[in-house]
Amino acid sequence: MSKQLQKIYFDPYLFFSLFLLSTLGLFFLFSASNADFSIVLKQCFYVFVGFIIMTLVSQPDPDVFRRTSGSFLIFSLLLLGITYLFGPEINGAQRWIRFGPFSFQSSELLKLAVPIFLANFLFNKKLPIQRKEIFISLLIIFSCFFVVFTQPDLGTAIIIACSGLFVLFLSGLSWGFIGGSFVLLILSSPFIWNILLQPFQRQRIATFFNQDIDPFGASWNIIQSKVAIGSGGFFGKGFREGSQTQLNFLPETETDFIFSVIGEEFGFIGVLLLLSIYLFILLRCFYLALNARDRFCRLVIGGLTLTFAANLIINLCMVVGLLPVVGMPLPFISKGGSSLISLFFAFGIIISMSTHKKFLPQ
Amino acid sequence: MIFEERQIEKNNFSSRAILLFGIVVFSLIAVLVQVFSLQISGYNDYQLAALKNKNYEVPVQALRGEIFDRDGEVLIKNKPTFDLITRPNLISDIDSFLDEIQPVIFLSESDRNQYKKLEQEKAFVNKELVLKKDLSDEEIARFNVRSFNFQNAFIAKRYRRISEYPNIFSHVLGYTSRSDDEFKSMPEIPRSHWRDAELVYAHGLIKGRTGLEEIYEDHLNGTHGKRVYEINARGKLVQSLSLIEPLKGSDLYTNLDIEAQKSAAKFLGNRRGAVVAIDLDSGGINVLYSSPTYSINQLSNGMNEDDFQTLINDSDKPFFNRALQGRYPPASTIKPAIGMYGLLKNIVNWDFEMKDPGFFELPETGRVFRGWRKGGHGKVNMHKAFLVSSNTYFFSLAYQADIKELSNHLFSLGFGQKVCKDCYDEDQALVPTPEWKFSVMNAGWVKGDTVNLGIGQGYLLATPMQLAYYASLIAKKGVLSEPSIVKFEDAKKSLKIWQDDKFDDSDWNKMHQALLGVIESDFGTARSIRDLKQFQVAGKSGTAELVGLDSKEAYQELRTSEFLRDHSIIIAFGPMPNPRYAVSVVIENGESGGAVAGPVAIEVLKSLINE
Repeated sequence: MSKQLQKIYFDPYLFFSLFLLSTLGLFFLFSASNADFSIVLKQCFYVFVGFIIMTLVSQPDPDVFRRTSGSFLIFSLLLLGITYLFGPEINGAQRWIRFGPFSFQSSELLKLAVPIFLANFLFNKKLPIQRKEIFISLLIIFSCFFVVFTQPDLGTAIIIACSGLFVLFLSGLSWGFIGGSFVLLILSSPFIWNILLQPFQRQRIATFFNQDIDPFGASWNIIQSKVAIGSGGFFGKGFREGSQTQLNFLPETETDFIFSVIGEEFGFIGVLLLLSIYLFILLRCFYLALNARDRFCRLVIGGLTLTFAANLIINLCMVVGLLPVVGMPLPFISKGGSSLISLFFAFGIIISMSTHKKFLPQ
Repeated sequence: MIFEERQIEKNNFSSRAILLFGIVVFSLIAVLVQVFSLQISGYNDYQLAALKNKNYEVPVQALRGEIFDRDGEVLIKNKPTFDLITRPNLISDIDSFLDEIQPVIFLSESDRNQYKKLEQEKAFVNKELVLKKDLSDEEIARFNVRSFNFQNAFIAKRYRRISEYPNIFSHVLGYTSRSDDEFKSMPEIPRSHWRDAELVYAHGLIKGRTGLEEIYEDHLNGTHGKRVYEINARGKLVQSLSLIEPLKGSDLYTNLDIEAQKSAAKFLGNRRGAVVAIDLDSGGINVLYSSPTYSINQLSNGMNEDDFQTLINDSDKPFFNRALQGRYPPASTIKPAIGMYGLLKNIVNWDFEMKDPGFFELPETGRVFRGWRKGGHGKVNMHKAFLVSSNTYFFSLAYQADIKELSNHLFSLGFGQKVCKDCYDEDQALVPTPEWKFSVMNAGWVKGDTVNLGIGQGYLLATPMQLAYYASLIAKKGVLSEPSIVKFEDAKKSLKIWQDDKFDDSDWNKMHQALLGVIESDFGTARSIRDLKQFQVAGKSGTAELVGLDSKEAYQELRTSEFLRDHSIIIAFGPMPNPRYAVSVVIENGESGGAVAGPVAIEVLKSLINE
């Protein structure tokens, strides 16, 4: 008994690489915020809390998550409902819920709840997955997507959809169904463009394909981001020396465009180093997924890892001009407690699922 | 699930996970390639774009060159004062701002009104406006203590174009005024940056408008400097990165003579007229004065509207530069030129004598041209004709002239053309020709027109500048450097040579003797000025009739109206026998050339020679 209490479930690779990443993130944030200590201190606090949460979350047996996945999803949706009813409107979007001095973006929970719930729903189903199960899964995914999409928060909604779809795909969705869905998606794209997308979102996509449309308006962010990264060169301009960042030509430096700050001030070398850390984390998670103890854990680790990867890649592609602008933070680096805490929560679950060995054969 | 199924599921999972992971790695590589193309391949372009974002260039105004007289004394300088400067575009309520600053810096009612007027008409380039100039030490100290109350005002050193002799040199030096396109010489700086320019003049961007200030604009204008600021995305200046110092414009060294110009002004007094004097050795213009005049200091540095209107509406037209633009009949001062023509064409020689009955009767029509003295001068040869200014002699000579040849001769002496190298807006006046008369008056040239030309009346018109040039040409016996206000190193090379083999040195000497006699002999028409000086002067006076009249009685009636009175004219050069300066004086409605214009010419020559 005492031996069991002493045992702490812990993954040194992930722990230290996440520690390195979030510490570097604090430095980047310091520069990106024009040396605003209060922002960095606040972020530092979230990182600290994040590590505690990750450690705590990695202690319980994966079965706990499996058993509570249903109530977790319902709880998350309940919070979203509260946000919808009582949340303050900030910049035309209703995303936040307040707890005293802290505010929390309730949609972040869905990033975790959806993949875990689907993994639980699908892990014991026979291969290939039946139509009825697919239908239920897609219904859950798209209703969650839609709730967040109407906030509006396209970035988070996409990530939530991804998290569910990845689990669905990993659990053995038939290729025929996938192909059919693609054809359907392409056929319905005019409908998506005209009805679902907000005018500003349509404009973002239009300017992505032609940046000359409005260089001082809609295209400004992406043009300045490319200038910031490009002018960094091989070695970068140096810490706090990036003119695009420090003179505020670059927008949203603390959040969506913090990668441009890194590109400008630390150059290609800095980008290479940062991407290496991310790649290492992804490799480690991938290894853990392949070697997970059962199908449920595989699906959850795989789903959460790929959600993390999608988050990362969408942000990077947007900032370097490979995708239209969509609100999406750079994981572990961008300012913001909700995203950080939910990321640490996710990694806590990954560690829990990879470190707990199975005692009872199932 | 049975073991086999689990194994199939696991393999299925692994292959799908590997596929997705492959896509993830591929995406990261795509990002890295894009970053590479931005940072390594596109580095130069993006670095330039980043610099263009943050670097903000503004022009730094250069001082204009200063202007000096022939002895190196300054005529126009850049005078610094400490001024209270405001940024009117940042002041929301001008009146309350002025009320607030009143206890610190005393402002008169007219200071306030002037400021408010200028504030309303401010040009977009001039973001600064001087509220009060030339602050005292006490005012500066008082303001500095309270400067935190006045964010939109500051004290700084600013320059003005100031002349120590603001009135007497106004026409020749000219004035400057605000200009909106001065930084055109720096096309790399966008026009929108001009409003952040660093200005050294209280009046912002200035430009020469008349006189030397205009003619030598490019010479006087310095090379503007450039300051590079770092700006942030909101366009706020963050810090100065570099400065290319402005270069002051080149100074201008003129031939002008302060003392002689002062004499011209003093002896012309408040009469309308002009004086031009030329240094015969260099062709340098020593005096160029037009009366009445105005203050260039006031005009260049903000004259108030009332004063300006007074000047504009003045019937004496002070802005009119009579020395360069006044068109006057040369009257008897043309006689040496007519005499030269007679000698060149063998119409007369120095010994030829004729009887002067006091008038000339045109054989064709019987029209009578009167001399200035009833009864005439008896027997006259050319020498005497100059001394007593016999009209009959020159009527008769001109009667025998060919008008085309005569006008060409007058052209060759500088009439009807611009003679000065660097005069602002010089008029070419008029040498009449039959073609001219036909085109302007739609009438044919008649013999009487030529006869009138013989005494410088009729259609022939000359500027004081042309008369001075003509006097210089006679004084220098035809060899003269092109007149110029500014000193030129190669002045000697720019010779204007009047030469004709038929008019040799002895002719020149006889001409000089005759013109000397006009002033120095007992019979000369200008002998009244003989005793005003210690040296000998040659010259020819004239009285330009504005209305052709047949009798003296009629003129007595006419002269009750001042503006119909004759103009008084003289050309003179001295000291004889080796003249160094030539001068021309015109006094409008001054009557009797020798006695009125003569003393002014003598005083100017005295100032020039006594140095």
